[in-house]
Amino acid sequence: MPVKQDTAPRRGAFVDFTPETSCLEISGLDLRYGDKPALRDLTLRVPRHRVTAFIGPSGCGKSTLLRALNRLHDLNEDVQMEGEIRLEGQDIHAPEVAVAELRRRVGMVFQAPNPFPMSIYDNVAFGLRLQGGLRKRRIDDIVEWALRSAALWEEVEDRLQASAWSLSGGQQQRLVIARTLAVGPEVLLLDEPASALDPISTLKVEELIRNLKSSLTLVLVTHNMQQAARVSDYTAFLQDGELVEYAPTDTLFTNPRLARTENYITGRMA
Amino acid sequence: MPKSSSSPLLRRRLRQGRDRLATALITAGGIGVIAAVMAIGVFLVVEVLPLFWSGSPEAPQVDLDALWQPQTYPGLEAPVHRWQPALPDSDPGPRFGMAPLAWGTLEAAAWSLVIAVPLALGAAAHSALFMSRRLRAHLKPTLELMEALPGVVIGFLAGLVLAPWLERHLGLGLTLLLLLPPGLVVGGALWSRLPARIRRWLPLGWSALWLVPWLLLLWALARWLAPGVEGWWFGGDLRGWLAATLGLDYTNRNAIIVGMAMGFAVMPSIYALAEDALSGVPSSLSEGAQALGATRWQTLWRVVLPAAGPGVFSAVMIGAGRAVGETMIVLMASGNTALMTASPFDGLRSMAASIAIELPEAAPGGTHYRLLLLAALLLFIFTFLVNTLAEVVRTRLRRRYRRLGVSS
Amino acid sequence: MKVVAWHRSGRVRLPRGEGPWAWLAAGSVSLSLLLLALLLMLLATRGLGHFWPSDVDQVTLADGRVLAGRAVKEAPLPDDQGMERLYRTDNRDLDGDIWEWVPVPDIETLSQPRDLVVLERRRWGAFIGRLVAWLPAQGERREGAAAWDALQARLAALDRQRDAIARLREESLLPLARRLEAEGEHPRTVRALTEVQARIRALHEAMAGDVLILESVDGRRLRQPVEEVLGAMRPNAMGPGAKLVAWGDGVWRFLSEGPRAANAEGGVWPAIFGTILLVMLMSLVVTPFGVLAAVYLNEVAHQGRLTRLVRIGVRNLAGVPSIVYGVFGLGVFVYGLGGRLDQWFFEDSLPSPTFGTGGLLWASLTLALLTLPVVIVATEEGLARIPDRQREGALALGATRLEMLSRVVLPMATPAMLTGMILAVARAAGEVAPLMLVGVAKLAPQVPVDGDFPFLHLERKFMHLGYHIFDAAFHGNDVQAAMPLVYATALLLVLVILVLNLTAIFLRHHLRSRHGSLSRY
Repeated sequence: MPVKQDTAPRRGAFVDFTPETSCLEISGLDLRYGDKPALRDLTLRVPRHRVTAFIGPSGCGKSTLLRALNRLHDLNEDVQMEGEIRLEGQDIHAPEVAVAELRRRVGMVFQAPNPFPMSIYDNVAFGLRLQGGLRKRRIDDIVEWALRSAALWEEVEDRLQASAWSLSGGQQQRLVIARTLAVGPEVLLLDEPASALDPISTLKVEELIRNLKSSLTLVLVTHNMQQAARVSDYTAFLQDGELVEYAPTDTLFTNPRLARTENYITGRMA
Repeated sequence: MPKSSSSPLLRRRLRQGRDRLATALITAGGIGVIAAVMAIGVFLVVEVLPLFWSGSPEAPQVDLDALWQPQTYPGLEAPVHRWQPALPDSDPGPRFGMAPLAWGTLEAAAWSLVIAVPLALGAAAHSALFMSRRLRAHLKPTLELMEALPGVVIGFLAGLVLAPWLERHLGLGLTLLLLLPPGLVVGGALWSRLPARIRRWLPLGWSALWLVPWLLLLWALARWLAPGVEGWWFGGDLRGWLAATLGLDYTNRNAIIVGMAMGFAVMPSIYALAEDALSGVPSSLSEGAQALGATRWQTLWRVVLPAAGPGVFSAVMIGAGRAVGETMIVLMASGNTALMTASPFDGLRSMAASIAIELPEAAPGGTHYRLLLLAALLLFIFTFLVNTLAEVVRTRLRRRYRRLGVSS
Repeated sequence: MKVVAWHRSGRVRLPRGEGPWAWLAAGSVSLSLLLLALLLMLLATRGLGHFWPSDVDQVTLADGRVLAGRAVKEAPLPDDQGMERLYRTDNRDLDGDIWEWVPVPDIETLSQPRDLVVLERRRWGAFIGRLVAWLPAQGERREGAAAWDALQARLAALDRQRDAIARLREESLLPLARRLEAEGEHPRTVRALTEVQARIRALHEAMAGDVLILESVDGRRLRQPVEEVLGAMRPNAMGPGAKLVAWGDGVWRFLSEGPRAANAEGGVWPAIFGTILLVMLMSLVVTPFGVLAAVYLNEVAHQGRLTRLVRIGVRNLAGVPSIVYGVFGLGVFVYGLGGRLDQWFFEDSLPSPTFGTGGLLWASLTLALLTLPVVIVATEEGLARIPDRQREGALALGATRLEMLSRVVLPMATPAMLTGMILAVARAAGEVAPLMLVGVAKLAPQVPVDGDFPFLHLERKFMHLGYHIFDAAFHGNDVQAAMPLVYATALLLVLVILVLNLTAIFLRHHLRSRHGSLSRY
């Protein structure tokens, strides 16, 4: 198979979305850890109610980008950031935006499941109780709804008061997703959500992701290209902190514009 | 999709405000607490400075040299070091020479290290290399408990039980000292000649336990031999021999007693740190050496110890820091005589013990008071420096291990 | 190298020999363990054995002298003339001394007559001898076994009366006296006071009057007022069961009563109380502040070079000698803060200081400062062991930092904080040196807690188990006589500290295994 020469423009194909159809708009994002650059001049739009996957080699900045989307970098004073991120048209770094509220709207699920050391029920109700002002009955309903949405309800319905740490890894990850859904986010960021799970649990989580896109915007970081191909609608390929190519998933995987992209997805990276 | 209810904006503001307030309070409180702990050094410096700075009537300026050099006092012929802060009124005045106190402090610390270091390092080497995992899991907390024994109890036993006992059984003490090391080696040699069947019942990994009866046996042997040893070499009276031949007076409470008691107290902390350093050496290193046919002891000496050397060093430093500042043991076992002699059978007086005895009676702001604070400052600086050094060494070492662990 | 030499020269072929140094290393572990075991056994046997009512020997010497006492120890006589034995013969009022060295070869007969009595008295210490007669204030004289029975009954009654007096004094007399002091000479108060005093006097009179005629084994007689007698027994006539009961009673009285005879006799209750109160106050101060500082260092502060330096500094403060903290406490708390407080609030009682001298408050603050590094380090370790993903998980759900800390991080770090607190308590309970500077007392007449407002008297001096050991062992008139009590006190202190440390070890272990199950993923 002939290898394409990297003579095409340095940047590959781009899908673009109108501001009306996009949920997140990232423009000119530069991010450095101390003096080490992690993201360079990143610009892209994430479509609403679709699954968008970020792929790329380790250290390419895809997780960093994800954490920037709900301002988790705020905790780390070594991180310097420039550029703009807009959620539904509003700059997330604007002074009137409360970071806690932003994080409620932009939920995040991490690589390793991180249930709190409390009961299953309390885990799901955790975020709701933070918001306050809800009756017990209402919390019960939302917990059930969230667990059902995360396809976990049948497995835990009779032991809601058991410790969350007694669940299996795959169940824990779905519990974390339920916990995030319960606070009613608009965007769900998933940072390699299946990398610590066995194949069957992985399939369940992927199915869940596909089901959730009817009501949520999902952003998925993964190093598993089959997974990206299976669940995402659009895929962005990042390398060395730069966005290389961003296209509908089918296009990117079957007909990548750039040799760099093709080398990566066919496993010929140096 | 569920929506959060009633007045979310107000509630959000409230939460945000509470968060800011709490962060500010934690910051202020944390800095305050840390500053309060750190204030100790500042306080001591501020209180000690007037000693060298200004001569107020109740606290005349003190000459630095006079504190550390021998002084001529009326009524005494040659210049001497003396610490006699409270002499009877007929006498011309207090004598402030810090040298005997500093000497006593260092002497006590040195003797306790002489006792503690071999024991602690031997124990650390044994438990890092030979001891069975199960026994080790029990040994560490046991020695931690030993570390927690209060100084006042150890001091009481040293001053009122050990000191009179040793005074009566000096010969037995010496015999034990001479007999134990070869006795242990002989025990080891005997063990290796045992039939394999019996040896399996007495594995090397548990030798720390089954050597205890052997030690008791050696003790009994020493009791039996002691009169002979004393009669043969020392004319039946070791104490008299010491006085006649070496010119050493045996005082009931002396530097050796302090060394033994404080060595016992300090040994567990040295052990714990040294053991951490030794067992932290990546196993790839020692396994490599053993694969080349080295015995475990050779491995320790040639591979593990060079790698863990700084850690062992820092363990000894921390032990020294503890020994210098320990108060109650010295207070109760040393006799508290401010002498400056090299004889291990004389009493001594340490800075910490002086502070404990004299400070409540010293008039605040007076020379005596400030001199005792100077002693406290010296203790503070010494221990702080020693601990910092040890900590830095340990941090470096940990980093090195991590590198070794990764590269292997 | 020695190791190699051992192998080569060895006609003894060692299968897998490790050389002499390995055995010395093993021996040092055994030696340490042996010493520790010896120390604990010594404390346990001497400390607990003191309360056992052992048999009393009656000894007749070759020169015809007779004495009775309990054998304490033996030592060799000079020039190989055998051993001599030390008897504790008590009877200080008869002999002027309570000890008697007896050369063993001089002992003619040795017996344990069942009629020897041991009386515990308020003054002059114990009496060993025979009970001749019982002379009550009213009623008839009794002798022999009847006297013994009468004495037993009377002692029980005396105990009740003493309790009644103590209660009257505590509940009526002292409050009235205080009211008198506070409100001036109110006639009603004065009348009530006189009445209570009269009742106490009546009780005292009811106790007095009875007399025992005692006789030492060598025939000297003695009239002993019964009200001075605290207890009586005939150890040689007691079976093991009765002795066990007497032993339990002795242990209980040691734990529950106050000291007598300049701390050489009696119990240690005020010292236990003082130690516990001190340690409780200290942990009330040190735990919140230590946790605060740890949370600041680990969760809030910028993790830069400065924080690292501060952390090393705090760690090293744990190695600063306790006496230095004592000096700080004396200079800053007692003379500095205490002197200020006295000038502001207690001016009328100057120049006698209220807070300007050592006391409970300053002692507990000093100990809190001393143990602060312990709590900070332990809590920080606990916080650092909580994986970051737990924090991020909370934040990602929209929690503020306060909510993250209070709902997720701190609950997870609770065992670590508890461990830190217990370690701090264990360390503080054994510290004596700083207390000598900031407020411990040889004998505190008033316990720092009573019914008088504000109930807890932070300015008062207090007694402490550790200092009690030091004082009884080094400042008594007769150290030999105080030794058993010192052993018992030392055993108590060591037990308290061992239990605290074991709890901390258990907690830490528990903590580790719990977090171990989390880090599986």
